[in-house]
Amino acid sequence: MMDAHERFLSRRGVLKALGAASGGLALSRWIGTGSTLAQEPALSKPVESFTGPGANPHWNSVGPYVTEPEKAPLLLLTDRPVQLETPRHYFSTAFTPNEAFYVRWHLDGIPNNVDMKGWKLQIEGNVAKPQALSLRELMQKFKAVSVAAVNQCSGNSRSRLQPRVAGGQWGNGAMGNAMWTGVRLRELLDTAGVKAGSVQVQFQGLETGSGPKGAASNRFLKSMDLSNPVLDECIVAYLMNGEPLPMLNGFPVRLIVPGYFATYWLKCLTWIRVLETTDENFWMKPGYRVPDTPRGDTTPEEVKAGKVNMVPIGRMPVRSFLVSPDGSSKIPAGMTVTLRGIAFSGYGRVTRVEISEDGGKNWSAAKLGEDHGEYSFRTWEAAWTPKSPGKYTVAVRATDEKGNVQPDEPVWNPGGYLWNRIEKQELVAGVAG
Amino acid sequence: MKIRVPMVVLVSCGLLALAGAGAYAELQKGHYQPATLGHLTQADSNESSPDSQYGAVAYPLYPPELETGDGKAETEGYCSVCHSARYITMQPPLPAATWEAEVTKMRKTFGATIPDAATSKILSYLQTHYTPETRKQ
Repeated sequence: MMDAHERFLSRRGVLKALGAASGGLALSRWIGTGSTLAQEPALSKPVESFTGPGANPHWNSVGPYVTEPEKAPLLLLTDRPVQLETPRHYFSTAFTPNEAFYVRWHLDGIPNNVDMKGWKLQIEGNVAKPQALSLRELMQKFKAVSVAAVNQCSGNSRSRLQPRVAGGQWGNGAMGNAMWTGVRLRELLDTAGVKAGSVQVQFQGLETGSGPKGAASNRFLKSMDLSNPVLDECIVAYLMNGEPLPMLNGFPVRLIVPGYFATYWLKCLTWIRVLETTDENFWMKPGYRVPDTPRGDTTPEEVKAGKVNMVPIGRMPVRSFLVSPDGSSKIPAGMTVTLRGIAFSGYGRVTRVEISEDGGKNWSAAKLGEDHGEYSFRTWEAAWTPKSPGKYTVAVRATDEKGNVQPDEPVWNPGGYLWNRIEKQELVAGVAG
Repeated sequence: MKIRVPMVVLVSCGLLALAGAGAYAELQKGHYQPATLGHLTQADSNESSPDSQYGAVAYPLYPPELETGDGKAETEGYCSVCHSARYITMQPPLPAATWEAEVTKMRKTFGATIPDAATSKILSYLQTHYTPETRKQ
């Protein structure tokens, strides 16, 4: 038996719909009389606390909402170091708000506070004129440039993999798009004068860990080849969507590597170090490596047999997402609704987004939104009418200008990287009357 | 110069740290404070002054409820030196061999200094409570 309080809670939705939630009289009438509904409405049930060993069936990861400094409520993966996922609904626009932008740190020594009087961006190593530049110098002495670029964690959607892989159990929300403004990395390197015999440039931010010196748990370091043309597109950004970066997203400056996975986008970037040898610290080898196979796909058996050649992760494969409807509401059959979402690729502009209502058998083109540049989220939308009541599996796939099309096959590799399978969402159409 | 020491307890105690190399700014980092899960209150705006200091708010800690059992104390104590025990509860249920590989990685690759006896207890605890066959919550 339910007591009066429970009955009230179970009728909350009904009362709200009648606009009678504040009326004591109406309330007592609803509690006092028998139900006029076929069955008692239930409260939404919370998501499970973990998923597995099967794939996570949800769009996002399953953690609770938490509020962190300078952030809207986001989904918790871990609290120390901080890892937070962006909820699905924030991806209905091309640019992800700063306060909703996902967070991923490797080591627990995340800056709480930075004194900009002492902070200097150091350009050191095999250079003719080592530099130590204040934020003011970065803003005043160098030309400001902007790029819209997607930042996606290498392990985004890791919770989809079968068999499951240990690591951050992200749903789809370890990604975001922002307009980044700052200084060209190339201009900074030219100012310092890269000397002959240099092979890589290493990036280090303010984060430190509690592990012993020299261990992976002490410093997070990433490097890129000086011959990589993407260095010409890199920016040392001090603005994110026209605002200073939240501390959790890398204040005061962050490296932007358009088209590449976020592992290279050093937060709180403070050291740019030109190297004469290839960096083989943990975070470059064996960390963040993928098989050199098509799509980076392999099997646990091949890995065990030592047959897989692993290379540093690089560009992001083409992906697209349905953001709304998200399946939380039933759609009356015959009603035309708007399917909306985003698409992106690290290999070039998204040129086509298609949707399917039968799980991927038949496809039709969606309308693309404004083009913010080849490295940005591209919004898309399509009108859709479920003709009769029933369950529909809506699928979405994108194609980029290099001709890469999202496949309907899963991917597996030991790091849990590079997931870009076609997304599917079940939508239910009900009887309209 | 104060240097951060490994924390066995989850609560950080306000240490000042200087960054590794070069002439460089003083900064505070690695401050965390216990918080309560399930109470999503609105955050008030923080008071700022027009000086050169940016940031300064502690990051909230949400320690998970680990399963009760032999080895829990060692697991919480040693794993929490570097990271939250949420790194355990966040995982899907993992096979016993995967937990062994994870614990080995923490010691060998990440340099966790865990005595052999405690290592066995931690591994046995994880394999008892967090595999596909055994995981409950």
